[in-house]
Amino acid sequence: MSTKLAAMILAGGKGTRLLALTKKVAKPAVSYGGKYRIVDFPLSNCANTGITCVSVLTQYESSELNTYVGNGEKWGLNGVRSITSVLTPKQTDEGSNWYRGTADAIYQNVDWLDRVDPEYVLILSGDHIYSCTYNEMLKKHTENKADCTIAVYEVPWAEASRFGILVTDDNDNIVDFQEKPKKPVSNLASMGIYIFTYKTLRAALLADAKDPDSEHDFGKNIIPTMMAQKKKMVAYTYSGYWKDVGTVSSLHEANMDLLLSGDPEINLYKVQGDNKIYSEDNHSLPQYIGPKAVVKDSLVNQGAAIMGSIDHCVVSSDATVEAGASCKNCVIMNGALVKKGVTAVNAIIGQNTLVDEDVNGEPGDIALVVNGKAGK
Amino acid sequence: MKGVLGILDCHNSCTLGELTADRPLASVSFLGRYAFCDFPLSNFCNSGIDNVGILVKEHQRSILKHLGNTMSWVNNTKMGKISVFYNEKGQVNPSYNTDLANLKENDWLIITSGCKYIVIQSADVITNTDLTPFLEEHIERGESITSLYHEIDDADEQWFGGNEYEIDSDNYLISAKPNNGDHKKAKVALGTWIINRDVLQRIFDESAKVPSSWGLKEMIGYLAENGIFNIHCAKHTGYIRRIDSLQHYIDYSFELLNRDVASQLFVPERPIYTTTHDTAPALYGEDSKVTNSFVSNGCVIEGEVKNSIICRDVKVAKGAKVSNAILLSNVWILEGAKVDNVIIDKYSTVLEKHTIAGDKDNHIYIRQGAKI
Repeated sequence: MSTKLAAMILAGGKGTRLLALTKKVAKPAVSYGGKYRIVDFPLSNCANTGITCVSVLTQYESSELNTYVGNGEKWGLNGVRSITSVLTPKQTDEGSNWYRGTADAIYQNVDWLDRVDPEYVLILSGDHIYSCTYNEMLKKHTENKADCTIAVYEVPWAEASRFGILVTDDNDNIVDFQEKPKKPVSNLASMGIYIFTYKTLRAALLADAKDPDSEHDFGKNIIPTMMAQKKKMVAYTYSGYWKDVGTVSSLHEANMDLLLSGDPEINLYKVQGDNKIYSEDNHSLPQYIGPKAVVKDSLVNQGAAIMGSIDHCVVSSDATVEAGASCKNCVIMNGALVKKGVTAVNAIIGQNTLVDEDVNGEPGDIALVVNGKAGK
Repeated sequence: MKGVLGILDCHNSCTLGELTADRPLASVSFLGRYAFCDFPLSNFCNSGIDNVGILVKEHQRSILKHLGNTMSWVNNTKMGKISVFYNEKGQVNPSYNTDLANLKENDWLIITSGCKYIVIQSADVITNTDLTPFLEEHIERGESITSLYHEIDDADEQWFGGNEYEIDSDNYLISAKPNNGDHKKAKVALGTWIINRDVLQRIFDESAKVPSSWGLKEMIGYLAENGIFNIHCAKHTGYIRRIDSLQHYIDYSFELLNRDVASQLFVPERPIYTTTHDTAPALYGEDSKVTNSFVSNGCVIEGEVKNSIICRDVKVAKGAKVSNAILLSNVWILEGAKVDNVIIDKYSTVLEKHTIAGDKDNHIYIRQGAKI
């Protein structure tokens, strides 16, 4: 088979700074926005782009994520002309290796790419939250006859030194790449989203694999090497909502972005845009709001039962807030139970977590409660 | 369960007035998320019955749309199969378009299914039933036909037009007659029948001797009363409701707002499956006031909602008030509008500051796509 554009989603990371939330699941499988897992976003983006060849590369705590991705059916990526593969590190003739870096993960699956025989390869991160199609980016790549197109995001100048920064000329050609520069000369941050012409990528990966000094990373090795080789590198500026959630606080904040309060340009429906975000259906009842409930400025998914009070909260499926309980500025993940009389403020309450005593986080220091004790 | 064919029977449902003008009861929205056919289809699925036929009487577009690729109600997507049984000839002669005639017309599908037993469930009865023990009992006893019944003590208030049974001490049917509501205690028939494949063939033969307007419901009584077959009656317990009028549709919907009642119908071990629309979770505004209501995904609620059932993709704008209402999908209640004791069909809009108020015993129905 051959295809125009194959997507490879890097989903092997642990997400260490998400602490207990990623103790047993990989970061892309973390619950978000009441209904979703983070990986639903890149996968839905692929589906909405019309991509039919998708692979998800997993490594850390991969069983739940592998099961979730399955054959891609949740995103409609199981059609007659589609292929969805979960690619984990494997034993081969040459021995066995973990994925040693983002580039190595793709290198170890060159066979898969050769089989689907794409003209272009889209490299995505499994833990970014944004809703878009990649058609414009691909168009830019092909029109410029580029070897590599990198999606960039304009970050505030003050924060530019925290990112990998790209410097471009007037035609969006990338002329320099600086990893976390002290004095940035551009505020275009790399999003870690690349389109490569496959032939060029293949050669670059094979060469990189032989380099003993390489960290086998796109940002640190592949891109700088291609720059040095004067390959045609183009920047594509993305301007919609985009979040790379790294910490408990930023995950909390990204959830709260979906609410109707705050920035009128950002809420769930604005983030979603014209495309649906596909996810798992959990066969739950519609959400039930009890006779004495107070529900304000919140996002609630099917299966939740709100008997108490929620204000500025994101509540996942089958979570229960009992009568007399009060939650403010909380993310309540699926199956969690907030008991009668409990007050939870500024917190993330993990999957199936029982909250039977008050939780008091601070706006700048979000509390995290994960115990898996609900329903047991 | 191999060798068993499930049949969802959409022939015997009553009309709910305009709500069923363009759709069968089987695909009428219930509780914000479901259609009535989800309950029997989920019962089949939860009982391991993966080969299912749907006897569609009319308005098949509506039910086909809900069924989608039909895979929402099967355990194995290769072996599982949901086929639509449609009686082309019945369209010319509606009074003879019975479930029995439909089964006869599509006999070939039943034969080729290779099934030995057929379990029929009626689309107008809501239960959450594991059919396995009934099937096992039927097979173990070597019965020809088993009919499920339920004991009610308010037959003067419900199950109108449905059959009630007279049963002997050995649990065999003596006679069946429509409930006319003049007494309280009754053993009412669920419209759930387990029939052996070869027995169904004999029922087809017998049907030549009775009026062509008779369906299975009438036929079962005839077979028992004339001693042609012994009809074994098996007692069903648990939650049960039969949708026999628009008022009962409303009553039974609101009744499930009571958590104790809802927990009888919705049990974790037997989920009710439905087709997914991949809608986003519901959003509530800073001034929203919502109490005692079911709200479906895709809704944006910025006004007040109480004692109501809100389907997918409904918008209740700031200052709008919704009470004692059933709002079907994609209904918009604009700023300052008030609706009370109403059923509003899909894609309708109640414009700014308009008021629609029915009363408890007389809900106002607003048709699909209306702008008021």
